[in-house]
Amino acid sequence: MGDELQKLVKQKRMLVMLLTMFAFLFYFGLPLSITFFPEIMNAPSPIMQISWAWLYAFLQIPMTWVLVFVYYSVMKRFDRLLKKLVQGDAA
Amino acid sequence: MNFTYFLFFICIIVCTMIITYWAAKRSNTTNHFYIAAGSLSGLQNGMAIAGDFISAASFLGIVGAIALNGYDGFLYSIGFLVSYLVVMFFIAEPVHHLGKYSLGDVVCSRFPSNKMRFTMASGAFLISILYMIPQLVASGLLIRLLLNIDYSISVMIIGSLMTVYVVFGGMIATSWVQIVKTVVLLSGTFLLSLIVFSRLDWNVSELIAKVSANTPLREQFFMTGQLFASPVELFSLQLALVLGTAGLPHILIRFFTVRNTIEVRRSLVSATWIIGVFYMMTLVLGFGTVAFLGYEKLVASDATGNLAAPLLAGEVGGDFLLAFISAIAFTTIVAVVAGLVISATTAFSHDIYHHIWKKGKSTEKEQLRAARWTALGIGLISTLFALQLENINVTFLVSLTFIVAASSNLPVLLLTIYWKRFNQTGVIAGMVCGITVSLTVVLLGPNVMNPDHGWILKEAIFPLYNPGVIAIPSGFAAAILGSLLSAKKESLNDWQRFAIFSQTGTGRERP
Repeated sequence: MGDELQKLVKQKRMLVMLLTMFAFLFYFGLPLSITFFPEIMNAPSPIMQISWAWLYAFLQIPMTWVLVFVYYSVMKRFDRLLKKLVQGDAA
Repeated sequence: MNFTYFLFFICIIVCTMIITYWAAKRSNTTNHFYIAAGSLSGLQNGMAIAGDFISAASFLGIVGAIALNGYDGFLYSIGFLVSYLVVMFFIAEPVHHLGKYSLGDVVCSRFPSNKMRFTMASGAFLISILYMIPQLVASGLLIRLLLNIDYSISVMIIGSLMTVYVVFGGMIATSWVQIVKTVVLLSGTFLLSLIVFSRLDWNVSELIAKVSANTPLREQFFMTGQLFASPVELFSLQLALVLGTAGLPHILIRFFTVRNTIEVRRSLVSATWIIGVFYMMTLVLGFGTVAFLGYEKLVASDATGNLAAPLLAGEVGGDFLLAFISAIAFTTIVAVVAGLVISATTAFSHDIYHHIWKKGKSTEKEQLRAARWTALGIGLISTLFALQLENINVTFLVSLTFIVAASSNLPVLLLTIYWKRFNQTGVIAGMVCGITVSLTVVLLGPNVMNPDHGWILKEAIFPLYNPGVIAIPSGFAAAILGSLLSAKKESLNDWQRFAIFSQTGTGRERP
């Protein structure tokens, strides 16, 4: 069980690192973009003419929801695999 | 105070007292008192997390910040929301697996010693008290402004309520007060948002046009850079916001109140949905305030903008809606401070009294008695502090709490859970340095040292209002260097077992 469990935990860490990297790039991209490209960010976007800065800020909310959902769904599979490993070990 | 206001307040007090009475009958073991015996469902805990997290600073402060500064005010909401990703990915599940009642339990599951427990308990206690005092002061000022009740009486009412909830009802009462608060807060803000839109015939363009006409910033209101001229300030604030939540003890102990990791994750899914939807509505309320009330009227009532939501309610819905929203603001505050009281109580009575003083040998009855007396003491002391601080600007303590949490608790928890070479010296170095550096940079910064309106009437030595960018890396660096420079090492086998257990809850005995 030891090795397989370690492999499973490693996979979980990989997922967390990937999701975190994406989340941080997306999140810190907002202050960085409004600092370095204020003209572009304050210009209207094609979507309902709202500025890129507003659009980007709004997108942070669904981004959070989507990442939470992805993590939640993948972890369901993780739980199933974990249960199998633990039960196999007990048997 | 008119009759409508009185009725709403009495209604809230009666409802929460019924909850406390019901909870008191169930809080007869430490397990029930500290963590509601892990009996909450994920949805209930998610609602309680939102109730614990959305403080007066979030509800009233952000609506005001948006009404005064437009776009930049909204950036606060984003940071608060995204911070839950850090909690979900890195902290929540390991905390649930490793701890029983407190963050001290979490660190002691890897480094069992009284020194570790004392360090973690002191951190949790300090952070909870630091956060509680400004909330109490703000509540006193707010209720005085809204209802014309004397500051001392307002603080005493809120102080007594939070103490009663925790002393008698423990975590069960606290959780259900927070759940009720989330329901009324969401309903109230949703109702107010609908009224704002209905007054404009559901036309968003008209709302934007009205906002532009009624703010001195005109079109600039919708542009970036009204609040944060300096990029360093903006980045530093965003850093503290996104990392702070994962170090807040009153939020983290909520992960002990559910029975398994699935419910932990469900808690966070629900919390992020509630908080996200709520912050979208604060945007409508902020815009609505400028559109219907106008900048001048808002600033004339209160220069900080904190009264934006209640004033908007009065403007669009009359006295009845104003009373309703004021009652919601009141519930918001009591729910948050009750969460802080229970977090400080756990740190003291479970970690310090039971584990350190009584060496883990006190009986269930003694522990419960100690917890209730501690809650009473904490409630009393923080109320007394708040009564003395009426005339001092303490709002910066709210952001200070996020910085202290992100630079002390967070590095220690993260490295305990994920770093093989971390050791006890690192824990102490991280906690002490994180707390010291964050307090120092705030004390020497423009929040405290200000020639016009500071506690110290002098030019600030440290230039940043948001010093997270210095304090947070310092906490991490101290924790890492402390570990690397000290000789203590643990066996690889122990580490592997711990690492697997922290992620899966298997392969080791539960604490």
